[in-house]
Amino acid sequence: MTEESDTGLGGVHIKYLLHCPRQLWLYSRGYRPEQRSDTVAFGEALDETTYTRRRTIDLGEAKIDWVTTGAVVHETKSSRTPTPQHEAQVRHYCLLLSRLGVNVARGTIHYPLIRRTVEVPWGDEARAHAEETERQAHEVIGSHQPPPRLPRKQCRGCSYRDYCWGEL
Amino acid sequence: MTAATRTYWLTEPCRIRRADNSLRIERPDDTRVHIPITDIRDLVLFDHADVNTAAFSLLNHHNITVHVLDHYGNYSGALTPADDMSSAPVLRSQSALTSNSEQRLAIARSLVHTTAANVIWALDTNLLANPLEQLTEQLAEASDTEQIMGAEGNFRRSSWEVLDTMLPPWLRLNGRTRRPPTNAGNAFVSYVNSVTYARMVTALRCTPLHPSLGFLHADTDRRRNTLALDLAEPFKPLFAERILRRAAAQKTLRKSDFESDVGRASLSNEGRKKVSELIRTELSTTVHHRSLHRKVSYEELIHLEALKIVRLCLEDTPYKPFRPWW
Repeated sequence: MTEESDTGLGGVHIKYLLHCPRQLWLYSRGYRPEQRSDTVAFGEALDETTYTRRRTIDLGEAKIDWVTTGAVVHETKSSRTPTPQHEAQVRHYCLLLSRLGVNVARGTIHYPLIRRTVEVPWGDEARAHAEETERQAHEVIGSHQPPPRLPRKQCRGCSYRDYCWGEL
Repeated sequence: MTAATRTYWLTEPCRIRRADNSLRIERPDDTRVHIPITDIRDLVLFDHADVNTAAFSLLNHHNITVHVLDHYGNYSGALTPADDMSSAPVLRSQSALTSNSEQRLAIARSLVHTTAANVIWALDTNLLANPLEQLTEQLAEASDTEQIMGAEGNFRRSSWEVLDTMLPPWLRLNGRTRRPPTNAGNAFVSYVNSVTYARMVTALRCTPLHPSLGFLHADTDRRRNTLALDLAEPFKPLFAERILRRAAAQKTLRKSDFESDVGRASLSNEGRKKVSELIRTELSTTVHHRSLHRKVSYEELIHLEALKIVRLCLEDTPYKPFRPWW
């Protein structure tokens, strides 16, 4: 199990899979331009300045923002709109934790900018869902050709845009 | 690339210190400048500077490269952060690409040919039609990179001569000389080319590529990175030739901006500031990019060029060297 959580998928992989499989493919092959992205820097700053009393839990590839009693997985997002990607990411964390033998209760996503939280239920159905997502991610990473680009509109704000659309 | 980060050009002798999580630049006249570390993309040193380990580890932690130019404008090295951006899959295909001599030659040829076209574009002249024809012929015949470089050299000689006709007598190159440059014009071109090379190194450091596995230049030039030299090539005319022509026409440069000795020349303190200012403005000039649907600066064009090689390595997309489209 530790083997898998070390070399396996982190939250970023899951988030990218749902945003754009191509982004996941590129990320898994080492092209990671996020370091230079304003949006990502903003997200990091927000993460550092909110819920500062909580401690990050490091599972190798995945880093869970924090976990409270009864094993509730918490995640902070700098976004203003809750999306299915965020839930899938939290479900993935729940899956990783439950594989380590933790009896996970549920997940909670915090949106400090709009002062809202979203509950993510955890159970057999959610588990099957998470495992299916994980399988899809492995499939994308394992393919030899990159998945096609998404329609342009959806590339807005993506730090991979220069790479995907930069050819004249 | 983060829009907020920028390149800092240090044209005066200074001391680079760490003050908490920012850099403190101490100038000889006892004035201090504090720069937040997250604001820096890289530093270019035109003059001597002191750096201590505290400052260096901060720079390293934030992936900031410090480029060092020597007195004559030659690129004399860099303090580079640890190589933690590179990725094995990309490196593997990069080394496979560069060790396949056929692919390597094809890319080298297209680099030289495009550079020649860019020179003609930058000089805006029809005097170079003949040399370009010769270059095309020689490139077709060339069977190794040395011959390609030779053909390029021939074309370049004619192009420098044409450039000389557009300059005032004191700024003429009279043949390109390097290490050290012999006259004002050559000193200027050396500085600008070194900066172009430094921009390319910085761009490559933002990608998983290794800056030394290249196509055109010799692998054995240990002090500099082959790939960065290669990719900087098509950009050199965009900066060196154009800025020199413009500076001459607008009389921005003066004789006093250069320190000329017998057989060697370099920029004076004032000249250095002036030249770094010229390059900075040029780098931030924007043009509309047709497929990104937004304006991109020349600086970003250099970054996009590096991404083309990543694309070549990861997806086998054919590489077309940069050509101005405006």
